[in-house]
Amino acid sequence: MATTLIGFLVLFPLLAAALLLVVRGDAARAVVVITAAVLIAAGSILLAVLYLLGSAWQGLVPSELVRTTINYVTLAVDVLIAVYIIAKSIRYKKLLAGVLAFAQLGIIVGFEFTLAHNVTVANDLYIDPLSVIMALIIGIIGTGICIYSLGYMKDHHQHALEHAKVQAADANDNADDKEDDEKPGKSGKLPDRRPVFFALMFLFLSAMYGIVFSNNLSWLLCAWEVTTVCSFALIGYTRTAEAINNSFRQIVMNLAGGLAFAVALAFLAIEGIGELDVVIALGASGSLVVLPIALLAFAGITKAAQVPFQSWLLGAMVAPTPTSALLHSSTMVKAGVFLVIKLAPTFGWNSNGVMVMLIGALTFLFCSAIAVSQSNAKRVLAYSTIANLGLIVACAGVGTPEAVWAAIFLLIFHAAAKSLLFLCVGTAEHHIGSRDIEHMDNLFRRMPTLARLMALGILCMFIAPFGMLISKWATIVSLVHTNNITLLIILAFGSAVTFMFWAKWLGKILAAAQDERDIETTVHRSEWFSLVLMALLVLVLSLGFPFISKFVVVPYLAQVAGIVNPLVNPYWLSVVEVIDFDNLLIMAVIVLAIVLAFAAFFGKSKKRKLPIYLAGVGEDFEKRTFTNSLSKTSEATQRNWYLGGLFGEKALTPMVNTMCIVLLLAGIVMATLNLLWGWSL
Amino acid sequence: MTLLSFVAALVGFVILAPLVGCFIAGVDRILSARLQGRVGPPLLQPYYDVRKLLAKDNAEVNSFQGFYVALSLVLAILSGVFFFAGGNLLLVVFIITLSALFFIVAAYSTRSPYAEIGAEREIVQVMSYEPMVILMTVAFVMVTGSFNVSSVFELARPLIADMPLIFIGLVFILTIKLRKSPFDLSYSHHAHQELVKGISTEMSGKTLAMVEVMHWYETVLFLGWVALFIVWGSWVAALAAVGAVIVVYLLEIFIDNNFARVKWQHMLKWSWIVTFVCVLLNIFLFLWLRQPIV
Repeated sequence: MATTLIGFLVLFPLLAAALLLVVRGDAARAVVVITAAVLIAAGSILLAVLYLLGSAWQGLVPSELVRTTINYVTLAVDVLIAVYIIAKSIRYKKLLAGVLAFAQLGIIVGFEFTLAHNVTVANDLYIDPLSVIMALIIGIIGTGICIYSLGYMKDHHQHALEHAKVQAADANDNADDKEDDEKPGKSGKLPDRRPVFFALMFLFLSAMYGIVFSNNLSWLLCAWEVTTVCSFALIGYTRTAEAINNSFRQIVMNLAGGLAFAVALAFLAIEGIGELDVVIALGASGSLVVLPIALLAFAGITKAAQVPFQSWLLGAMVAPTPTSALLHSSTMVKAGVFLVIKLAPTFGWNSNGVMVMLIGALTFLFCSAIAVSQSNAKRVLAYSTIANLGLIVACAGVGTPEAVWAAIFLLIFHAAAKSLLFLCVGTAEHHIGSRDIEHMDNLFRRMPTLARLMALGILCMFIAPFGMLISKWATIVSLVHTNNITLLIILAFGSAVTFMFWAKWLGKILAAAQDERDIETTVHRSEWFSLVLMALLVLVLSLGFPFISKFVVVPYLAQVAGIVNPLVNPYWLSVVEVIDFDNLLIMAVIVLAIVLAFAAFFGKSKKRKLPIYLAGVGEDFEKRTFTNSLSKTSEATQRNWYLGGLFGEKALTPMVNTMCIVLLLAGIVMATLNLLWGWSL
Repeated sequence: MTLLSFVAALVGFVILAPLVGCFIAGVDRILSARLQGRVGPPLLQPYYDVRKLLAKDNAEVNSFQGFYVALSLVLAILSGVFFFAGGNLLLVVFIITLSALFFIVAAYSTRSPYAEIGAEREIVQVMSYEPMVILMTVAFVMVTGSFNVSSVFELARPLIADMPLIFIGLVFILTIKLRKSPFDLSYSHHAHQELVKGISTEMSGKTLAMVEVMHWYETVLFLGWVALFIVWGSWVAALAAVGAVIVVYLLEIFIDNNFARVKWQHMLKWSWIVTFVCVLLNIFLFLWLRQPIV
């Protein structure tokens, strides 16, 4: 049953992807996407229910025939990926990507023909509460984003067509326009590449399932590389020069991570190890595998877009918004932090642990600070994603059960709240024509429902009693218990700047002018569906927090504690809830009370309404114009503060890049020294 | 925190805190007036002000602001109740931050340019004091071994003996939280400032009355934080705590009347520097002098 269900979750999205490649009509595509989404979500939920009800899930061993087939298929996929990247890199003259892909292919093929027979794999697949959580995130949030894309991509294509017409007109004026066969608008007609887009989205989901259930490291690496290539293709979707540049930046960074992964795979194979759980168990109980773990952590850090690799995720913003939502919330970067969390029991006060926790913590502090200086909503979201992933990585680096508890909840709430926010920004962008936070002024009147949903997403990201902050609370507890004063100071300052950038954004969208102008009526139904789904998810998760902790996360920690040698890492001796059930319940009750209070009283006040004070007689309250003392019209303008002098990208990025590069190199060097001469911290 | 202590704190704090807060506000105004060479209002002037505000005409600029302010008030009270019931100190800190957020949103919701400047400054104020508040909690846990406020009564000596610099840092940022000059950027009690009631520009009548009452509750809660550093497991502690609270508040009044308002850059810079230095020195000293608790 278990193997079948996992097989379904990996294979069915592939089938959907293949179908979507051939289906052309809007209506047919909608049917396929919605059916596939529902089935995938149902499959994930069924898996979770069966698992949590405690069916026997030991020994997920596919039959020998299936195993051999999968082994050949992964090898074929690895080769295909490398060929695809090399072809692309030649086509766009970006040779670095091709070289990296070639190197990686060399290692993998070398591994398959020399070392692979050295390795015995007892369990190719596994399932534990963490992979169940990931499956639910992929199955519900990931597919929700696919449904959202139906409406969004229709608008997107429409916008692109109009844009292309304008460009075509321009091109006629300028006869010496550059030669480029794929430039939209040259022929006056834009190729509809939506089938590719949707196929990639589902392929992505399939690969993510592969990542969260594979115990066999070479299968894991294959799925890992598929997500890299999928995001490469999705980022480059619009095929503008910027999109192509950014997609290559993404693939170079992630191939570097993939290369590290492949090297780790080869190293481990020399020792005869080919399974993730074996690596973790060995790492958690002693030495031997310090360098491979450092390399795997490196792979996780690149994929999770930690500094100094943050630029690929920032560049990914050129893609259509659902891509960003998918990359940020349920796939790609989540695969990175997933791997780092899996490795957490091997971290702590050793060279790898210190490297990982400091990179994560510095990423959290600096990216939160840079977010203060950004007015582009998608960039704020991107920096906040990187910062929150930094916090997750830092928690994993601390490596105690309490820190891992915090990391898992950060991951869950970040997935739900961030997808809600990205989808909100995407819809807002199509209706107000901008993704700048300053232009979201008065969104509360112009798009009332959307503004409320966006506000919910923002609240969930940074303030008690909603999920992210409770997870941060747990982080504080775990850091106090390990006397980690460095990280505590970083966390305290990082949280303060987090308040700054979220609060001012929240204020902007909740600002209500005194006259109404609702332009919300043209939002697609598929978009509403996903937006409301994510909002409900945020609320349900916030209310269900204590129960998720008790029935899913604590059992996971107990399982992990079983493989950790308590002599090496005494923190894992006892596994309990970091924040006791009572306090979690208090938080859940406050969430409920706030929601009910809003439902009962918000906006219901019947008091007499007066105009705001504008140093004159108010004229248009939307534009905030008034008649001044000289009987002329004046306009009151007010921008949010971005404090660019203190928190600007230019000042902070080089600083934090340098710090993290030094940390990474130091970590790898320490691990190598450990391998060669057995040195350790 | 048991249910009994919660109910006791609920009743006690809801009733007593505004009385104490109102009294402190009255004394504050008289002392400030004397420092400025004026006679000052009667002791109960803050109460008369609120009573008058409650009697004002029912009018507002939108139907949301009043709700946000009410929510902010309720959360401030709740935070105080958790504190005086001996509950989790981080919970107290987080709820009072939520209260601060809704107050900021209330100002934003009016879309008044003046209120927006005030709200923006208030956000910077939160950003300035928040690290110290979180790290104060951390220091508390490192000494008592528990997040519960009630554990302070089990100490053999007061917190200040182990964490003197943290106490200084707390008093420093309390100037911001109590809205005292030089850090009263968003909302001031002094009419000579360039922006007097920025954040509350569009608040009037009952809404403004709620803001005043919230200030009373908050004053009591914040002075409770001061007392937290002085209390230990002895009856003498109560006297010492009251004495310390009086001294700290007198100091705040003195600072309030003797320093000109600074720009936000200075506020941010100095509160962060004070926080960083105090916390780093104090906690490293503490961990060095004492065996780590694992």
